Amino acid sequence: MKAGLKLFNNKKLTKNKEIISYKKPKYVYIPLVNQNDTNITPLVKKGDFVKVGSIVGKRKGNLRIPIHSSVSGKVIDFVEKPYLNGQMVKCIQIENDFEETKEKREVKKLHQYTKEEFVHQLKSCGVIGMGGNGFPTYVKYDQDIPLHTLIVNATECEPYITADYVLMMNHIEEILDTMDAIMEINHLDEVILAIKKSNQKLWKMIHNYIGTYLKIKVVFVSDKYGIGWERALVQEAKHVTYDKYPLEKGIVVNNVSTIYAIYQALKYGNALTERIVTFTGEMLKEPQNVVVKVGTPVSEVIESIGGYKRNNDIRFVAGGPMMGHTLPNDELVVSPNLNCVLVLKDWKKVEERPCIRCGKCVSVCPAKLCPVLIKDYQKNKRRLGELKPEKCVECGLCDYICPAGIPLREIIHSVKEGLK
Amino acid sequence: MKQFHVYQGTQIKDSNTSSKMMYHLVLSLLPIILFAWYQRGIVPYMEERTDIIGLFYPLLFLLLPSLITYLMEVLFHIHHPHPFKDAFFNYGFVIGLFLGLILPFQTPVVILIIASLFSSLIGKLIFGGFGCNIFNPALIGYLFVLMSYGAVMSVDVVSSATPLTNFKNLGGIGNYHNLVEPYGNLWNFFFGTIPGTLGETSGLLCILAYFYLCIKKVIKWKIPLIYVGTVFGMTFLIGGYQNLDIWFPIFQVLSGGLLFGAVFMATDPVTSPTTPIGQILYALFLGILTVFFRFGTSYPEGVMFSILIMNLFVFILDQVGSKSRFNFTHAIIPFFLAWTLILGLGVYFGLNVGKEKTDSNFHIISKEKNQNEFSYIVEQKGYAGNIKARIVIQNYSVSSFEVLEQNESYYKRVEKADYIEKLLENQKHLEQVDTISGATKTSTALKNMLIHTLEDYEKEVHS
Repeated sequence: MKAGLKLFNNKKLTKNKEIISYKKPKYVYIPLVNQNDTNITPLVKKGDFVKVGSIVGKRKGNLRIPIHSSVSGKVIDFVEKPYLNGQMVKCIQIENDFEETKEKREVKKLHQYTKEEFVHQLKSCGVIGMGGNGFPTYVKYDQDIPLHTLIVNATECEPYITADYVLMMNHIEEILDTMDAIMEINHLDEVILAIKKSNQKLWKMIHNYIGTYLKIKVVFVSDKYGIGWERALVQEAKHVTYDKYPLEKGIVVNNVSTIYAIYQALKYGNALTERIVTFTGEMLKEPQNVVVKVGTPVSEVIESIGGYKRNNDIRFVAGGPMMGHTLPNDELVVSPNLNCVLVLKDWKKVEERPCIRCGKCVSVCPAKLCPVLIKDYQKNKRRLGELKPEKCVECGLCDYICPAGIPLREIIHSVKEGLK
Repeated sequence: MKQFHVYQGTQIKDSNTSSKMMYHLVLSLLPIILFAWYQRGIVPYMEERTDIIGLFYPLLFLLLPSLITYLMEVLFHIHHPHPFKDAFFNYGFVIGLFLGLILPFQTPVVILIIASLFSSLIGKLIFGGFGCNIFNPALIGYLFVLMSYGAVMSVDVVSSATPLTNFKNLGGIGNYHNLVEPYGNLWNFFFGTIPGTLGETSGLLCILAYFYLCIKKVIKWKIPLIYVGTVFGMTFLIGGYQNLDIWFPIFQVLSGGLLFGAVFMATDPVTSPTTPIGQILYALFLGILTVFFRFGTSYPEGVMFSILIMNLFVFILDQVGSKSRFNFTHAIIPFFLAWTLILGLGVYFGLNVGKEKTDSNFHIISKEKNQNEFSYIVEQKGYAGNIKARIVIQNYSVSSFEVLEQNESYYKRVEKADYIEKLLENQKHLEQVDTISGATKTSTALKNMLIHTLEDYEKEVHS
């Protein structure tokens, strides 16, 4: 990849630690949101009893996807909680009875699903993209276009985050098995596991298992931040470019955490109610990767792993340092697409200076945009048509590199919104 | 409930900030400044050619414009308060520094002051201050000096004719003997012991600064590389047609302000394109224009003018550059144009430059050998018809140069300046003798007459 940038990744804070779990919250707050879409019908009312994996809400529109309870217990209220983008969203508050009563779903052996059953299972278990976007996964497989390739994205290019890494270190067999099963069920020709070149430790570990799966290919991609973006990854791993979605060319891209969620759905009929979240940053006493239930208040988890180093002077980031958002408090609850909670030292934000037109934002942009020009022509509709700000993936690289401290990501985001 | 600050943008930041970039830029100029001081201040002082003022004059020459542009910035911001004004002040300082480095060292102080005011005011502040200017401010000051005081600047400075002025005065392509040898060899060009402005002489220091600035990610690295590459390529082509070796393009690259201009002036961030394709085209056309100025006009140095002209097109180049990121076809026409011009101009100049000067304008009517005295009657095309002269050479030295016939309109000026005397005095390095302004063609003809006769004499003696 030409664009993109190597960043100081700071993954060592959590990389070599055991995964711990925090699965006993007193209350969970299931956020009624998917892909920033809060247009979700709640299917329970106050006082209802729900089990682990019971459907509590359903997304309307084209991308229908159920939302599940992550504990068994009683629905006690509907409250507003902040979502990872800073918006307040409606959540279902459920009191945990600690019984872990499970909603039963029919399951088969991994390789024995038909394509229809596979799609149905993903849908009913609410498997969504866990890399950050939250796109319903079943939609990618429920296509008329013949699929031929699955690319599993294990690049995890955001600094600090190691959730995918530790997942692979612990569950590689399940992941490879699932990849193999998906290939057979969907009659794919090729399955690619994309990892970063520098991740030699991971490769050595995978190397011990890969021999059994003759059709799974491991592809090493460049170490730059930005490679985890679907388009860049497909370009580098498959040398294919596409217009809107990789599906056009018969390619499915899934995050490695999503593959594990698929495994849970196929093998045990488990809905997507848990995930690994990296709790990290220099202001946490003990950075950890923690398995948490969807809906768990983040502040509880932080407390359980030792808490903050200091109570003030903190920057609280939902997501990684590049694409995440700072939040005004730690009321955040875990959603399936939250991969990281980053607690950094408060900083004096670099003072915004006038643009010196150094062109660095242009040279790093993985989407081939010209952020500086988009900033200049914010009001010029005709010129914006040529500059295509809608192609921005908000990776934050222009923001990161800008020596003048101009908030380019925000500017382009608002230009994008303005064009809609 | 805990309360945290909310910030926009990414939560980690590259350590490079504008002020750091400015710091690295000034740091990279430091060796060049020190070298200039050594060459123009310390060495003359040590050799007792100058007094204590002369010792520090090179530093004052740089400091004065810097202070003026800095103060202008401060004054401007008293009337236009701006939240970032502190930052602006530093940027103001650099304009003056660059101006001092690119203006001829003999520029009188008064002109230096006016040029600084002009740079700051017309070059930058009139557009609305930092980031709004279209042209490189320092170059605006340079242009102003050249336009208004060009005559004052080129007052007879026989001893310090720059290699490019010399190249121009030859009227043709020249050869190693008359282009490089007057200054020793090409190493002197590389290290910077040749005449020129304070900043431009040392190729080595400019190249080192280029690498430093690239490593520190301060400048747009493509521009200097492609710019210098284009000039090298085109002059290589021209030199090839004229049967000149590889030294010729190297001479062209190391002479004048090319390296300094390419590294420091063409990469000025505000006035150069931001898109990669835009930068490549910008640099290609800079090279083409520079070669055009050097070979196709009477103006010796093309770098600064080329940059000013290309500053005008930055807007369009960025438009092409931004579109061609998605679809390269948008850049095909400009690239085609650039390649055509590079090849076309290269071949054209290669075939035509120097033809004017060649022997068709010079005839030996008769030569007589009398023991070791040669007596020539020669004819050379002047401004109005031919000039006929008798030249007597004895033991490699011209003993008499007598003009027999001429119809030149401005011959009086030549006589008044004792030009022929001057030629005879400096007959060992005729290339460095400047022409007479107001009678350029006549004086050039006289000079060439002598040069060609001496060439012929040498051939005779050797055979």
